[in-house]
Amino acid sequence: MTSTTYEPVAAPETDLRRRGLHLGDLLFKGIALLAALAATVLLGLIAWKIFQLAWPAIQHFGLSFIWTEAWDPVTQTFGALIFIYGTVVTSLIALAIATPLSIAIALFLTEIAPRRVAAPIATMVELLAAIPSVVLGLWGILVFGPWVRDHLEPWLQDVLGFLPMFSGTPSQAGILPAGLVLTIMIIPITSAICRELFMRVPKDLMNGALALGSTRWEAVRGVLLAYAAPGIVAAVLLGLGRAFGEAIAVNQTIGNRNVIPTSWFEPGDSLGSKVASEYVGATSVEQAASILYLAAILMVISLVTNVIAQFIVVRFERARAGV
Amino acid sequence: MKRALALGAIAAVAAAAAAFAATTQTALAKPAGGSIVGTGATFPFPLISKWIPAVDNALGIKVTYSATGSGAGIAQITARTVDFGASDAPLSPDQLKACNGCVVIPWALAGMSIPYNVPGVGARLRLNGTVLANIYLGTITNWNSPAIKALNPKANLPDLKITPVYRSDGSGSTYAFTSYLAAVSRQWKSKVGVNTSVNFPAGTGARGSSGVAGVVKSTEGALTYVDAAYSITNKFQFATIQNRAGGFATPGIRGVTAALCDVPKKVTALPQLKIVDPPKKCGKVAYPISTFTYVVVPTKSGDKAQTLRQWVYWAVTGGQKFGPPLFFVPLPASVNAFNYREIKKIQS
Amino acid sequence: MSVAPGAVDPYDITVRSNGLRRRRIIEKVFGILSLLAALFACAILAVVLGTLVAKGFRELNLDFFTKARPLYGEKGGVADALVGSAIIVGMAALMAIPVAVLVAIYMAEYARPRVSRALRVVLDVLNGVPAIIVGVFVFGLLVVGNGQSAIFGAFSLAILMLPMVARSTQEILQVVPQSLRHASLALGVTKWRTTWNIILPSAIGGILTGVVISLARVAGETAPLLFTSSIAANAVSFDIHSALPTLPVTIYVNSESPDPGEQAAAWAAALVLIAFVLVMNVLAKMFAARKRRQLEGS
Repeated sequence: MTSTTYEPVAAPETDLRRRGLHLGDLLFKGIALLAALAATVLLGLIAWKIFQLAWPAIQHFGLSFIWTEAWDPVTQTFGALIFIYGTVVTSLIALAIATPLSIAIALFLTEIAPRRVAAPIATMVELLAAIPSVVLGLWGILVFGPWVRDHLEPWLQDVLGFLPMFSGTPSQAGILPAGLVLTIMIIPITSAICRELFMRVPKDLMNGALALGSTRWEAVRGVLLAYAAPGIVAAVLLGLGRAFGEAIAVNQTIGNRNVIPTSWFEPGDSLGSKVASEYVGATSVEQAASILYLAAILMVISLVTNVIAQFIVVRFERARAGV
Repeated sequence: MKRALALGAIAAVAAAAAAFAATTQTALAKPAGGSIVGTGATFPFPLISKWIPAVDNALGIKVTYSATGSGAGIAQITARTVDFGASDAPLSPDQLKACNGCVVIPWALAGMSIPYNVPGVGARLRLNGTVLANIYLGTITNWNSPAIKALNPKANLPDLKITPVYRSDGSGSTYAFTSYLAAVSRQWKSKVGVNTSVNFPAGTGARGSSGVAGVVKSTEGALTYVDAAYSITNKFQFATIQNRAGGFATPGIRGVTAALCDVPKKVTALPQLKIVDPPKKCGKVAYPISTFTYVVVPTKSGDKAQTLRQWVYWAVTGGQKFGPPLFFVPLPASVNAFNYREIKKIQS
Repeated sequence: MSVAPGAVDPYDITVRSNGLRRRRIIEKVFGILSLLAALFACAILAVVLGTLVAKGFRELNLDFFTKARPLYGEKGGVADALVGSAIIVGMAALMAIPVAVLVAIYMAEYARPRVSRALRVVLDVLNGVPAIIVGVFVFGLLVVGNGQSAIFGAFSLAILMLPMVARSTQEILQVVPQSLRHASLALGVTKWRTTWNIILPSAIGGILTGVVISLARVAGETAPLLFTSSIAANAVSFDIHSALPTLPVTIYVNSESPDPGEQAAAWAAALVLIAFVLVMNVLAKMFAARKRRQLEGS
């Protein structure tokens, strides 16, 4: 007869183990910490480097560079106003069209469409986001621009030609085509964020409104949109930030002219687009630094927009956590 | 899962090792001729494209060239991100100083054509410097304006808006074109000036010679300034330009060769190579918007010096025979004498 | 109750009031408008993709995939750009993914909540830096004086990938149930082994989803490559110390060309790029489904 006895085997103890430390743990945590530090340092490094390269121009022109409307390499006078105008106007055009569209799309996907219809349409909107900006720009130059020049702009001129921005000669490259291409780029971003927002609205709030006899639209307007309003603002700001920063597709469609055009049909230029065009080929050290000054302004504008959006999101989440 | 991760890690390491092996292999297997990288003017790009395979055949030199514009050529060679730069505009004193010891060697010569897209107009249009300047200043806005009609009484000029197209990037073509406009129009000289990048008062910008050609192709009423080779390849109609002798010249071999009449027999400095707006004595065939195009090489080129010397020497001698089919005129002997002296300055 | 003739009895529920009809109309209009909006977005997608297919498909012959980009006036393909893009995107992934995963691990497993929130802000801000700024940054930092190279190009793309992968990894790590961690630690497994051998594998679906999506996004980025890897020889090359041609830069340069051959090449290259992006998106959905199955199963 064999009897098997089991004796508890004590784990080999080391000093470290008793103290609760383990070399592997320390190393791992250290590497992870290093990675986190690297990411933070990278952000600071980017900001620092851009300002360092722009510094000669900042020193030379000062803050008045921002509202100077000039870009003349012959006389070496440079200013950012032309490009700030281009960036802001194209982005605002995109915002004005994309925001209601995105909210409508998100509402359709979350509130109206049955699940089997919503899924493929949601995928298609996501795919719109996946189109690289250079491909949209290619389409913009060769297909969309000519269509805008031949059909959209004449129609706008007929209907709204009394407004200065819709007068002038239709052109395939200009503020309007660039703004419309930007619209296509930010619709998927804004609608995706809105969609996630709307999905997180507590069901009982909506159901309560419906139970009280409101129609779906009234429930959406009174409850969902009101509840998600700060989130929508954040989504809009994030889309705006994306529009500000887009350089390539805008460069291909805006016409590259150093002027603030009165008509949106005409060519102009934007911050990102100018940097893409000219940084590699600046004619003088002053011009190179001025272009970097433009890049610095762009960086500040998009960072500020992003940070405000983040701030709203954080406050939104904190407020909703209490509900 | 663990095994999958391990296999994935091994695959990644193997891929990295293979990549490293490939790079060292290419480093060891470098041809005796050497390899150099350059960037710059789009104007000579058609010719340089013919040179690249030819110099590889002749001397085993592997040249990489990317047409990014004269401005980029000057800026990149100044920053030493490439081995040579190409520019249609000679370097200004400030740019020479920034380049810190660069030689500027003219290696090709051609005419700047003025192509246009005016459907149904019939024969080739005649233009002169004043009209061109006014078009680009924005004071002449329609193809049927009296000034253009006066030069082309028999042409069927439509009521079509003119879209002057210019280079949005730093461009030696812009330098040559604005040099011409400044020579023939005092208003241009005072209002806009001469540079590789200027504030064009009217029109649309596009990047590169192919960019401006592209806009002209797709926009009715557009016209632009671009190297003759691009006009030929794209089958554009281009204008004849009136010169000081009163003739209307075309940017072909004869027209550009005639424009050289004022270049001295002994060339000692680059400003002597200004052939824009040639004087009356050059005759009725002389094309007024001709330009040299230059290669910019640092005098201290390290281990690339010999390859660069061979490359530039070949380009200004053996390479010139590729020019005429593309409307590039072979360099005159007086210019090459200057070039040989400059090439010797490229050292390690 | 009797009501005056002609007046509506307010308690008569069989009568539909004007107000209700109007509200019903508004409701229908709302439904139609949002349907139209969704259809409009789909229509744009269809138009763009349709143009790509119509103009690019016939260019996809064998020459297109085997010949390098042509010099002026010749015919060729995009083989060198395909190879260059693959190499640069691959290197970017190798550079970015380890760092991103480590950052996410730090945020999810080790950092105090405040530090974690701060890092979240850092990553989100980094995500919002425009690609052109990243390009100028890498140019000024590395390319000046050294020349362009595929390595610098990959580095700039890695900067763009890092916040995307880190944030998506961090979010998936947060979803992994705490019980898993506690069980492992209770069994005496060290923290780092817990993370490496247990938490990460269970989150692998979500991590791969984030990786694949960021690969798709970064494969189409043009601006950083313009500054770091745009002057490249017209031949297939594996030399990562010099600049390599890439699909997005080729599309960008060709898009402004008047030459119909170059334009056709641009359309075809765009089609290839979109196909890659589509495949990546499908893969991402597959990984997401697998992640959901895993989490539901455990």
